Amino acid sequence: MNEPAQMSLSRISMQNVIPDVFSTEDVRESQIWLRDFTFVRGCHYLIEAASGSGKSSMCSFIYRNRSDYRGTIGFDRRDAKSLTSDEISRLRCRNISLLPQELRLFGELTAIDNVRLKNRLTSHCSDERIMAMFDRLGIGNLVDRPASRLSIGQMQRVALIRALCQPFDFILLDEPVSHLDERNNSIVASLVYETAEALGSSIIATSVGNRLLLPEDKVNHIRL
Amino acid sequence: MISALLRKNISIWQLAAYTIACLTGLSILLISITFFADIRSVHEASGRTSDYITLSKPVTLLAALGHGKSDSNSFTGEEIDSLASQPWVARVGEFTSADFNISASVEFAGRGLSTALFFESLPDEFIDVDPDLWSFGSSSTEIPIMVPRDYLALYNFGFAASRGMPRLSEDLIKQIPLRIAMSGNGNFDIMPARIVGLSSRINTIAVPDSFMRAANDRYGDSRNDRRPTRLIVELSSPGDPAIARWIADNNLESSSGKSTSGQTVYIAGIASAVIGSIGMVIAVLSVLILLMSIFLLVQKSSDKIRNLTLLGYRRSQVASFYYRLIVVINGVVTVAATVICLGVSQLWTGALGDLGANGVSCAYAIIPAIVIMGSVTAVSIASCRKIINKTAR
Repeated sequence: MNEPAQMSLSRISMQNVIPDVFSTEDVRESQIWLRDFTFVRGCHYLIEAASGSGKSSMCSFIYRNRSDYRGTIGFDRRDAKSLTSDEISRLRCRNISLLPQELRLFGELTAIDNVRLKNRLTSHCSDERIMAMFDRLGIGNLVDRPASRLSIGQMQRVALIRALCQPFDFILLDEPVSHLDERNNSIVASLVYETAEALGSSIIATSVGNRLLLPEDKVNHIRL
Repeated sequence: MISALLRKNISIWQLAAYTIACLTGLSILLISITFFADIRSVHEASGRTSDYITLSKPVTLLAALGHGKSDSNSFTGEEIDSLASQPWVARVGEFTSADFNISASVEFAGRGLSTALFFESLPDEFIDVDPDLWSFGSSSTEIPIMVPRDYLALYNFGFAASRGMPRLSEDLIKQIPLRIAMSGNGNFDIMPARIVGLSSRINTIAVPDSFMRAANDRYGDSRNDRRPTRLIVELSSPGDPAIARWIADNNLESSSGKSTSGQTVYIAGIASAVIGSIGMVIAVLSVLILLMSIFLLVQKSSDKIRNLTLLGYRRSQVASFYYRLIVVINGVVTVAATVICLGVSQLWTGALGDLGANGVSCAYAIIPAIVIMGSVTAVSIASCRKIINKTAR
């Protein structure tokens, strides 16, 4: 497979991967660092670990916005480090979606414009579909408010809607519900789960405690 | 939407500073180019006479009294070579004087006029008359002659006026049949001749080189020194002060028709170059301001640029906002500077137009403007692309 970004991505393999700043001692207990681990499309993963164990690093390595690791991350058979910047852009529009922990919303844009900025690129969702997601997550009344004037929990939900406005084989959710109560956690979890199931895609969610409430029998628990 | 997002970080003052500085520099540069082009076109319209000078050695008192060496007034081969090697010399031609007696007679207005005369010749490429009229071969029956335009003026306003003779136009003088008597070396011949041209470049009565060589062989004394006493020089950079210096250093005399116009162009050229360089320096400094503003702008927007690429926007999509910004600003500067230059040039085109400027100044302003701003734009876009590639991840 020469162009993973062109078609669906079925496996993300992590072979002997370790962040440059980590030592072997740091990762003795990990099931991913310095192991041979593969994320398979269609399976869901809950990755739990204490802070500082490299969750966000792992998401960034897979999303290709950082490369400060040793070992090999493979997209199907292609080495992730061999992708060109245009291929990475395509990957981010079609194969891998990311909800970053720091959310990365544009404060000066309204909530809905933040989502549209992504959707304009992918043309994945209709305006009705986007509004329905806002309503479902209980922030339908906030669409026209600038993102800088939302609470962190509200921002988290806007960023999640944005992450869902694209086709994906894997969705990386970095602590997606850290600022949500249990009720909103369930709503987010069901929205993400339904969307991923409909696409036959994988959810890879991290947490430091407040974990995304996916159906217990459908997820693999991984310790990082 | 990207534009709306990135536009918020633009600093109007930085871009305005660039626009004003670049506009000033480019305008000064274009104005000096246009001015020089106009001055030059006036110079060219006034004829190329000043591109030539005639050199001779001064006649000393001793030589005048006949005590000097016989060849003291002629140029040696070395002297001619040294002259030809000067950087301001395009070509050197030698005057050949007739080594025999000549007299001319004319039947004119019922009166016969006769006068002793002299001939000189110089290489054909220095002659400014129609080459078809200026040929002389063994089958030719008439000698073509060229006289200085000044001689005609001298006759019309001096001689004819005082003697009650009719004045002659240039066309009329070319119709008058002349009879030339040549003698020497035991030979005597009479040949018809005609004035085929009047020259403002060459201050002598000239005949074709080929005729002169044949005539010198027939009537001249081959033992006589035939080295040239006068040289005609075509100048490659008229007005160059080095010319006057060289002539003085070698103790020569020069005669040139209108060397002042060449000097004017030379001085105007230096002035334009100085002013143009100042404009260039301002323009170059302004480009540094532009590069600095873009650098700061990208720095200020680096989070946004990073977030956009994280969303899946290509670097080129993000960068195109900055490219458009650069192209628009530089386009405005180019058009404005051209308009300013054309406006300012109106101040002198009236005056120079009367002197024969050909009004090509438009192209002289627009083409450099496009070339300069085109390269400025290319350089800015290239460095912008570099910064963005470094910023985006």
